[in-house]
Amino acid sequence: MSITPWQLGNVPGPKTALKLTGEVAGKLLKKAKNPLIIVGAEALKVKVGEKLLLDYVIEIAEVAKIPIVATSSTLSAFLERGVEPALSMGAIEITDRLRDPEWSLDGSKPHDIVVYVGITYQLQSQLLSCLKNFAPQIRTLSLDRYYHPNATWSFQNLSEKDWIENLNILMKTLKEEKKKD
Amino acid sequence: MVEKGPIKFSVKSLKGSGISLEDIEIAIGRLAMEEEWEPMGPTPMPKITTLREWDMKLLKRYRPFYMPFCDLCCLCTYGKCDLTAGKRGACGLDIGAQQGRIVLIACAIGASTHTSHARHLVDHLIEKYGENWPIDLGSDIYVEMPISRLITGIKPKTLGDLSYILKYVEEQIVQTLAAAHTGQEGSYLDFESKSLHLGMLDHLAMEVADVAQIITYNFPKGKPDAPLTEVGMGLADTTKPVILCIGHNVSSGVEIIDFMKKNGLGRPGETIEVLGLCCTAHDLTRYDEQAKIVGPISHQIRFIRSGAADVLILDEQCIHIMVLSEAQRVKTPVIATSDKACHGLPDMTNKPVEEIVDALVSGKYPGVLILDLEKAGAVAVLTALRIAPIRKKFKSLPDKADLKKVAEKCTKCGRCRRNCPIDLPTDEAVFAARQGNFDKLAELYDYCLGCARCESECPRDIPIHSLIVSAAELKIKTERYKIRVGRGPILDTEIREVGSPIVFGEIPGVVAYVGCANYPEGGRDVAIMAEEFLRRRFIVTVSGCSAMSIAMYRTEEGKTLYEEYSGAFDAGGLVNVGSCVANAHIAGAAIKIANIFARRPLRANYEEIADYVLNRVGACGVAWGAMSQKAASIATGFNRLGVPVIVGPQGAKYRRLYLGRREDRESFTVYDARTGDRVWVGPAPEHLVYVAETREEAIVMTAKLCLRPNDTTKGRMIKLTHYVELYKKYYRRLPDDLHMFIRTEADIPITFKGEIMEYLKEVGWEPWEKPVVDPTLLERLIRVKK
Ligand code: SF4
Ligand code: SF4
Ligand code: SF4
Repeated sequence: MSITPWQLGNVPGPKTALKLTGEVAGKLLKKAKNPLIIVGAEALKVKVGEKLLLDYVIEIAEVAKIPIVATSSTLSAFLERGVEPALSMGAIEITDRLRDPEWSLDGSKPHDIVVYVGITYQLQSQLLSCLKNFAPQIRTLSLDRYYHPNATWSFQNLSEKDWIENLNILMKTLKEEKKKD
Repeated sequence: MVEKGPIKFSVKSLKGSGISLEDIEIAIGRLAMEEEWEPMGPTPMPKITTLREWDMKLLKRYRPFYMPFCDLCCLCTYGKCDLTAGKRGACGLDIGAQQGRIVLIACAIGASTHTSHARHLVDHLIEKYGENWPIDLGSDIYVEMPISRLITGIKPKTLGDLSYILKYVEEQIVQTLAAAHTGQEGSYLDFESKSLHLGMLDHLAMEVADVAQIITYNFPKGKPDAPLTEVGMGLADTTKPVILCIGHNVSSGVEIIDFMKKNGLGRPGETIEVLGLCCTAHDLTRYDEQAKIVGPISHQIRFIRSGAADVLILDEQCIHIMVLSEAQRVKTPVIATSDKACHGLPDMTNKPVEEIVDALVSGKYPGVLILDLEKAGAVAVLTALRIAPIRKKFKSLPDKADLKKVAEKCTKCGRCRRNCPIDLPTDEAVFAARQGNFDKLAELYDYCLGCARCESECPRDIPIHSLIVSAAELKIKTERYKIRVGRGPILDTEIREVGSPIVFGEIPGVVAYVGCANYPEGGRDVAIMAEEFLRRRFIVTVSGCSAMSIAMYRTEEGKTLYEEYSGAFDAGGLVNVGSCVANAHIAGAAIKIANIFARRPLRANYEEIADYVLNRVGACGVAWGAMSQKAASIATGFNRLGVPVIVGPQGAKYRRLYLGRREDRESFTVYDARTGDRVWVGPAPEHLVYVAETREEAIVMTAKLCLRPNDTTKGRMIKLTHYVELYKKYYRRLPDDLHMFIRTEADIPITFKGEIMEYLKEVGWEPWEKPVVDPTLLERLIRVKK
């Protein structure tokens, strides 16, 4: 059975996100040449078990050595934790720059995988749609609990328990793969 | 009515016609009948491409950013075409142009809606008051219709002139919409230019609509101390007959009040309650402040369901399509009065009043269509008087004891939540109610848009929206707030006072909270944003649903913002202009600053005025809950005039933004009109339409988007103080683009001097070579050409 968008009416067209699992996400991030994580303000409200999603994402970014873009006022939460994001910028502004095939954070090589997490569903869906249609060179991952059809890969709609499990597997995969290095 | 209008001809066609060139003045009709109040500017009554060059200048700096809401096109029988990621439709269109086309269609719908609203009003008012009824906005307003003067080159004097202006708008909308047909326009930039054209036309139509009603219905003519009235679900005295007007066109509501007065029934609230919902409510209170405002669009279904209304009068726009069936459930008769919203009702326009009243009171018809507004007013009042005693038993919310029983059917399938436009956790709330906990339902009240979509999706037929409303019963009963009646235009005298401090930056900005109530997290956010800028002594202007949401919030002192802040267009003033169409006065104020304060020629001089506004008038619109196509065209109209707009996260579904890139120096390079030099002026304003993810981001961005290249040193320092303070408040450090706005050390906010100097050193900042310029995007305004 096909996966339904979290917002049931949010049916974009024939091209919809592939089902993501924690393991696939871990492998993709590990293989990525120049990945990026964009973290939105919902990450300050949503919990992954006992932890804030934000803290979980920081861990992922640290383990996988992926630069973080803090959108909206998440910057302050990062700074409070002593974490310096690579960039603080509106979710719209960073997505706008990613449309340019040449653009990257440090000007070296373009980003091949971009992770979106914690941006309010309707907005994140639209941002993913922008990149799907105007930056086909970029593959996008949504790590939120809810299926985002406009991403390249998205978790399907998961129960909190399953979502946490997938995130844990993602972390485990990153760490394991790291050990192999 | 004698139609006046231009006779179109070209000079070429006059050759050999026997008409000499001297005759032309007479032959072109209304334009020529005007006295020469100002020499005619370059672009009277611009056509689709007249201002294209200006649009392209804007679009070069503020590039269209598309977020398709749908990857398909289904507009013709070649389709559906899958346009995903660069594929082309059978007609050749790609996804970018398709987005531009959809935005154009949205703007055309928005502009048509205001134009048709204006047309209905103007025709009705001409019938009542005659086409020679003068446009008189009082002695403090000389530039009575700045948008009309700017766009058409006409200085309108009578209602008849307004009808003539509308003809131009109507013709242009038809021309522009035609570009959306399959196989017409193909470039996304040209689609955008056409959307900008439609946005501009929309502002013109709004100005016509609002001025027409101000001059005839004697609404406040820019009164800074317009009276306070009430807003809220809890203010209707249901022991009296209650009439509720829904929509945006106040003419039917006015007839109700007039009929009451003529027939000894007193003013609203004396024997009969006259309430309004949506913009028609603003305008009812502008007509008579004893009318009351129920609330924004979110209150529509819930108020009808409360059964409090004995009669519903529908006019036009923002009417929930289920209004008739909802009204039937509580036996409230409905009177539709607009040919644009007949709702399947029988046309009783030509029947005698008594017969219609009988039919409604007896329940023979659940509702009727009456296109004669005077008759509709009489029927509404007489029906309310007769039906109110019969309807008494319907005037209550569902009993709370029943809530649990209803909620027991919930299986927590989640369909309600997954169909809620703002993803409210209704499933959890209903499920909690099943267990006897109603708090979660009651909490949703402040966020719920009142659309009832959840209900139509619930497989167990649970009236979720009603549950939310019933659980919040106490809140509703005490929901009574003060709001200032919409004052209409800004006085010329006020513009003279604030023109200089705005243009030089000493008043840090004019912020307009406008638009609908599709808020991501409740209307409170709009009030909090407004309060932030009022405290900082920005000028805050408001209209429509946003103006109502701002009222439904109390400060620490327990007052509404309208009670705490003056209604003057001055630093720290909270200016409610009125309904949606009154938005024209906000744009009008920006134009008047250019004209009255800076003495820029106004007549048919669009580009120069827009260039002035973009570079000098630190204004920013915030449409936090923008939902409608009207909001799309209003925002786009502001954009063409050089005013940036911020929308909330739901606004991403409009599909298109105009974004600048601060690092793109060339795009923020302008001419110095004094020398002709090309000068980088920093990214001010950085964007033209922007989506903010959160309220905090919107606040910081608002302060930033009020920066203008023309700010004086003192002005820039004041503006940067607010930007830095807010950035630090929400982001906890200095903004990383600060160096782009500091031209010389004198621009640096004193309170942060040390910190900022250190930062500037770190980023290698150097004082600008040319800190003060006379900025313009228009080559023709260069005074000394190099
Ligand atoms: S208008 Fe063009 S893109 Fe749309 S359905 Fe027709 S052929 Fe396809
Ligand atoms: S749709 Fe109905 S049954 Fe399903 S969770 Fe919502 S209220 Fe319960
Ligand atoms: S009525 Fe309220 S809860 Fe229901 S779908 Fe609409 S906004 Fe969501």
